[in-house]
Amino acid sequence: MMAKEERRVGYGLPTLLAIGVHVLVLLVTALRWPDADVEPSSSSVVQATLVTTETATDQAQRAKEAQVRAAANQQAEQAQAQEEQAQEQRQAEAQAAEETARQQALAEEQARREAEQQAREEALKQAQAEAARRADEAAKQAQLREQQAEQRRQEEARQQAERQRQEEARRQAEAEAKRKAEAEAQRQAEEEAKRKAEAEAQRKAEEEAKRKAEVEAQRQAEEEAKRKAEAEAQRKAEEEAKRKAEAEAQRQAEEEARRKAEAEARRAAEAARQASASSLDNLIAGEAESIANAKQAAQAANGFINLVRRAIEQAWILPASATNQLRAVVRIQLLPTGELVSARIIESSGDGVFDRSVLQAVERAAPFREIRELPLAAQSQFREFNLDFNPKDVRR
Amino acid sequence: MNDSMSIPHLIMNASLVVQLVMLLLLAGSIASWVVIFQRSIVLRRAKKAHRAFEDKFWSGVDLNELYREKPPEQEVVGAEHIFRSGFREFNRLMTKTRNSQAILDGVQRAMRVAWSREEERLNLHLIFLATVASASPYIGLFGTVWGIMGSFQSLSMAQQATLSTVAPWIAEALIATAMGLFAAIPAVIFYNRLSASSNRLLGQYEDFAEEFHSILHRNLQGREREAA
Repeated sequence: MMAKEERRVGYGLPTLLAIGVHVLVLLVTALRWPDADVEPSSSSVVQATLVTTETATDQAQRAKEAQVRAAANQQAEQAQAQEEQAQEQRQAEAQAAEETARQQALAEEQARREAEQQAREEALKQAQAEAARRADEAAKQAQLREQQAEQRRQEEARQQAERQRQEEARRQAEAEAKRKAEAEAQRQAEEEAKRKAEAEAQRKAEEEAKRKAEVEAQRQAEEEAKRKAEAEAQRKAEEEAKRKAEAEAQRQAEEEARRKAEAEARRAAEAARQASASSLDNLIAGEAESIANAKQAAQAANGFINLVRRAIEQAWILPASATNQLRAVVRIQLLPTGELVSARIIESSGDGVFDRSVLQAVERAAPFREIRELPLAAQSQFREFNLDFNPKDVRR
Repeated sequence: MNDSMSIPHLIMNASLVVQLVMLLLLAGSIASWVVIFQRSIVLRRAKKAHRAFEDKFWSGVDLNELYREKPPEQEVVGAEHIFRSGFREFNRLMTKTRNSQAILDGVQRAMRVAWSREEERLNLHLIFLATVASASPYIGLFGTVWGIMGSFQSLSMAQQATLSTVAPWIAEALIATAMGLFAAIPAVIFYNRLSASSNRLLGQYEDFAEEFHSILHRNLQGREREAA
């Protein structure tokens, strides 16, 4: 009986038990795995490390990509700029035609008009100037942003300006004498006009505007400035203004002379500019998205140029003899640390005092430490660059 | 835990050698568990049978009756086997010689043979457990080393050596070691436990053999005195 029991201990039951144990273990491991979800957190940490290694190794590649993207952006901008330019040129031509007409009318009227009329016109011009200035200020702001495009455009505009200047030299000469006499009367009239209420001036300006054909365009500009606080309009206005600056050097000079006197009006314009600047900020934010990282290097470069320009403008003591027609181009060489190596006049204004004041301003403003914050590629670009000096930029 | 890191997926994607190692380890583990269960049952029954036989033996029953309880052709195990072989030898020699020393020698020899058989029976397959216990970690380690070699080979092909390219290989390789340990640990524990209990049982058999031998000796001494 015992032997029978002993014999029964074969391998069937143990085998079943053993397989059962293994199945059980497998089930336990299979069930345990979803619980072990703590581990993915460690894998995510690993991913973070990978990202850093990528950035460490791919910097060159990324820089290249950024360059490619920047180039694409530049091309796009260029195309846009050309388009705008064509548009602007058409507008500028129309403006110029209007302008000449206005000049003639002005000349006639001013010869005819007495002091009161001059005052009234002055008031009108104030209004015009305000609108134009607002556009100008906006333009200046946007200019900072689009320095790159602007630089190219400036090149072309400068060439254009050369031609236009020759054409306008005659007209300018005529207008200059007129303007000087006018300016005297204007300053006197200005004080009167300032005392008067702004509303009256506005009203008069409107009346004046109705009378004149040229006012039409100016009021349009005003409405534009008021209605379209949007950046695109302002950019257009700014580009207009910039082109006009070339085409309408005469009128700008007038406005600037007036602007210098109008401290009060300027404060109002400042407020308007700030308001537009906030909308500009929105625009910048919107554009920054589309432009993306690739443009950062270019922006930094623009920022640097602007910083340099501002520093020099602040250090610039204009000689008494300086007029708005004077213009000097200075070539500036910098060390990588921002130290000034040399500054020399490559395009003289013809006025020695003016040239010297420009060089002194550059020397006083140096060193330009900001160059160290630029990307390396941009640094080499700005080791040597030209700056255009014109008193009207500073007096503004 | 994503799907590619689940254990079945890793096992399926392992290289052939690693898969063979895993299969070997799985077979070893199953076999060792079979041995563990079988031996456990055998030893438990042997212990129970031994206790029952000792109770019966020391209950004062006549040894001849005890011997005749079962037909001689039936195979018996444990202390009973020792008793029967010893008693059979004793009865056979009693009819042939009067020399008590020769009888006792013969009985002792027969019992030693029976004990040796019992030892062999009890320790059967325990050596297999010992083999699994000592070898499977090495087999698993071999699988791991092979898998990691494969992982480094694949790493040399890869453009970027990220952890995510290495991790599955290493995980899959480490499964082999895990399986080796999984097979080895129960084998070690149960080998120790089963061999200890089988040794204890064999010691009890030995004790029983000695006691039986002393009973036979006493019996023979009594007969000699009667004869004298």
